[in-house]
Order: sequence, then structure tokens, then C-alpha cells
Amino acid sequence: MTRRYILVKVVYDRKITNEQLDEALNSSAKRYFGEVGLSRIDPRIIRFDADSSTAIISCERNATPEFGAAIALITTYAEAPMSILPLRVSGTVKGAARREK
Amino acid sequence: MANYLDLHVIPRPEDTQSCERMADLLSEAHYRTVGLTVATGLLNERIRAVRRIFEDRGLDTVLRVDLKPSSRTELLRLLRRFRNLYDIVAVGCLNHQVATVSCRDSRVDMVFFHGASRNLRFSHTFARLLRGAIELNLVSDLINRDDGWAFARLRKAIRVASDHHVKVVLSSGARSFEMVRSPFQISALAITLGLNQEDSIRAVSSTPSSIVTANRMKHASEYVEEGVKIVVPSRR
Repeated sequence: MTRRYILVKVVYDRKITNEQLDEALNSSAKRYFGEVGLSRIDPRIIRFDADSSTAIISCERNATPEFGAAIALITTYAEAPMSILPLRVSGTVKGAARREK
Repeated sequence: MANYLDLHVIPRPEDTQSCERMADLLSEAHYRTVGLTVATGLLNERIRAVRRIFEDRGLDTVLRVDLKPSSRTELLRLLRRFRNLYDIVAVGCLNHQVATVSCRDSRVDMVFFHGASRNLRFSHTFARLLRGAIELNLVSDLINRDDGWAFARLRKAIRVASDHHVKVVLSSGARSFEMVRSPFQISALAITLGLNQEDSIRAVSSTPSSIVTANRMKHASEYVEEGVKIVVPSRR
């Protein structure tokens, strides 16, 4: 299945791990789109850089708007404000990793 | 890259740090123009300082005012007073009377309906009257809501707007840096609520851009009225 790769910036004042980010993504997708929606979006963290708070996350291409909506609706994690801001959307990991000059 | 705009950003002028963080995120999210919503009584120096914070990050700024009158008379008085002072005039509709007049008045650029209001929503009646655009504050209306009401209200507004081909502007309504969302997220939210992809992209780029351009033209010295402007003949 074709996937989209999204470079995101995690805006969170605390330290966050790969697993915690995964939990935040999955719980938001499940909350707003249900189990079936989550399986359709199928978000996966490809890379996560805790120092720069950026990650490359992939999702099903057909469910890209649902993924965008799910991450837009994340507001808190572990009772602290959190937001996830997409910086670039690409069809390849390499493309997503390339930040605009 | 398209010119993306978020016409409803509500910075706190007294909190410089929050404004700076907001401006940084908006710039990173690829916005080029932001509509700074300021209180009507705010001092000019304060407004200039806030604008400078955003402009230093490469963002073009437009000044916007949100009018929330409780009656038709108050709305008309506020429009007379503030129309020429701000680039964008938006009206938050609190009741049926205000909504009807603000949809019909050409001085109103955008109307929006409060997410919490259950009695009033964008209906076919307002869509038929609307001369400006309907603004949907997707982030501020949707986040931290446990009921499905806000989703249902926005879905209905999108369906009505599509039926009547009225202009739709998608904004965040961000009051803090945590509420800043990228154009991709705003348009994704609208797509999941039923707007088609082309319209959703237009609603964060060309539609708000056309409103800003038209209003800037009106503030130019050569502008007389709609369709009329002073043209100085070139000297050869």
C-alpha cells in the first residue's frame, strides 16, 4: 500500500520518547476515528529525533486528511500541553527528511 | 509554494514570549500572512510591537477586529467606527438579528458563529444573504470538546456553504502557541468534515488572500469606491 511520509515538529515542553509519541498519535486517531479509522490511517513513526523534537511519521496515503486531522486535534499529553505541527509531506522518507532551504 | 493565510490569530500583547513562540511556529508552518486580532482599545504602540514580532519572522500581518455586538444598532455603530481602522472586520454572530444584518452588510468581511452556541448556526437563510465569507475557526471550535456538537455544527456549516457556493475561510482561532496548526492540518480537518480538497486548500490560501488584497486596495489613496480609482496620466 502506498504511504505518505510527514515530517513533524513536536511542540511539548517535557521530554518525550518514541513510545509516548506513538501513544499520543494512536490515542488521538482512535478517539476521533475509532478502531477502524485507526487501522485505515495506520500511523507509524519512522524516525524520531528527541533533540530537535522532529519525527517522520508515515500513514496510509488515502487516509492522509484523517491523519492530519488526528494530529491537529492533539492538545495534551500526560496533562501537559502538546501539539504536533507537520512541516513537510512527501511520498518518500528521503523527501520528508529534506527540510526546505 | 502557495500563499497560506491564517486570518484569525489572537496573540496576547502583554505576553511577548508567547507572541514570539506563536510567530515562530506560524512561520515554520509555512504561513505567509497572519491576521492579528487585537482588542479595539489597544494602544497603537502595543499593536506596532506585536506586529513587529510577527514581521521579524518574515510574516506579513494584517490587523483584524472581531465585533461581537448584541444588537443590530450596536453592529452598525461599531462598523461605522471601526471599518476604516482595520484591514479585516469580522463579526461574531451572537443572535439571529446580528447574524442577518452582518451577512447582508458589505462592510463585513467575514462572519463566524461561536462553537459553543447551540441556538444559532450557519443556515441556508444566512448563506443566501451572505456577501462576505463564512469563517470556520476549526482549531478553537474543535479542540477540548467531548461532545459531538461542534463537529456536527461545522459539518452542517460546510454543507450549507457548499450548497450556496459561498466563500469559506478556514482559520485556527489560535489564542496561544499550542493552538497553532499548519495549513495542511486546517485543510485536513475541513476535508474530514466534508469539504472537498480543492475548496479546503482554497479556503486557507486564495479566498482569504483575495479578501486581504481587496481591503488593502480600499486603503490605497487612489481608491474612490468599488470599481472607481484615481488614475494619474503618465507624463511623456
